[in-house]
Amino acid sequence: MDDLKVLGVICVLGVTCYVMRAGGYVLAASMRDDGIAARFLQLAPGNLFIAFIVGGCLSGGLAGLVGTVVALVTMAITAREWAALGAGFGAALAASAIGL
Amino acid sequence: MTAAGFRRGLVAALPFLLSNGAAGLVMGLTYKGLGLGAEHAILFSLLVYSATAQAITLSMWAHPLPVVAMVVACIAANSRYLLMGAHLRQLFGGLAPRKMLPTLFLLADASWLMTSSDADRNGPDAGYLLGSSIPMAIGWVGGTALAYAAPLAANEPLGLAATLLPTMFIATLLPSQWKNVRSLWPWLTSAVAALLVARFVDPSWSMLIGGGCGTLVSMMEPKDG
Repeated sequence: MDDLKVLGVICVLGVTCYVMRAGGYVLAASMRDDGIAARFLQLAPGNLFIAFIVGGCLSGGLAGLVGTVVALVTMAITAREWAALGAGFGAALAASAIGL
Repeated sequence: MTAAGFRRGLVAALPFLLSNGAAGLVMGLTYKGLGLGAEHAILFSLLVYSATAQAITLSMWAHPLPVVAMVVACIAANSRYLLMGAHLRQLFGGLAPRKMLPTLFLLADASWLMTSSDADRNGPDAGYLLGSSIPMAIGWVGGTALAYAAPLAANEPLGLAATLLPTMFIATLLPSQWKNVRSLWPWLTSAVAALLVARFVDPSWSMLIGGGCGTLVSMMEPKDG
């Protein structure tokens, strides 16, 4: 495949992705601070966290679910991210090793 | 945008050197298998910098390249960034565009989620967004480069780290998002909707649609104060 064509496609896709990243920020300049859209955005993060975690658990299978639950519980008890990640990843590896 | 916020974000996101490194490595190995040169693969990860968009366009790789279809797929896969960008405007609207627009080049799901959580605890600081984005970008692009530099093959622990560490990291931020018992119904709605969308529609839409459904339920609750 022609190197220049591949390079061109990569640049086009790169610009597309950047437009998506910056587009919401630029368009939101015209949004009212007390409108419905603003309230939606204020309430969105926690709900998107949950949806992100569910999607991640699904792609990681049962081992992913075990690891995520262990990480969440460890974080709630210790409030230390490194401990939570270590425990979660260890649990996921163990669950995967026993065939879950 | 403060130096303290930048440092806080940089340190907090260090685990992503490992998870994004592993994911970038897997992506690089796939590019290598496809016959793409190292320069193109690294440029792909640097400019597009989106696991979802890269995985989708990779699956569409053909001769001739279906450019329009790839662009449409990138827009669909990354539409959640519009919502994230609009939310960031609420947090950092007072900041000069010359500072925010380059920072948005590195916007990722995890850096946005971390920045939202940090804004709740310490107040909005765009330095945190930039600081947390850097280890993620180094991991992703570095992992892609490593696939060409080292004689490696994809294995189970590597795949598991790439898939699970971002999810686990976001799970550790969840306690900071819990407001009160009224969070329960919106969160359940988000989870169920995300599950259904991932199962029956497309996993790449589960975050946006699931989170959107939960947020609509949140909006039905009476306002605090």
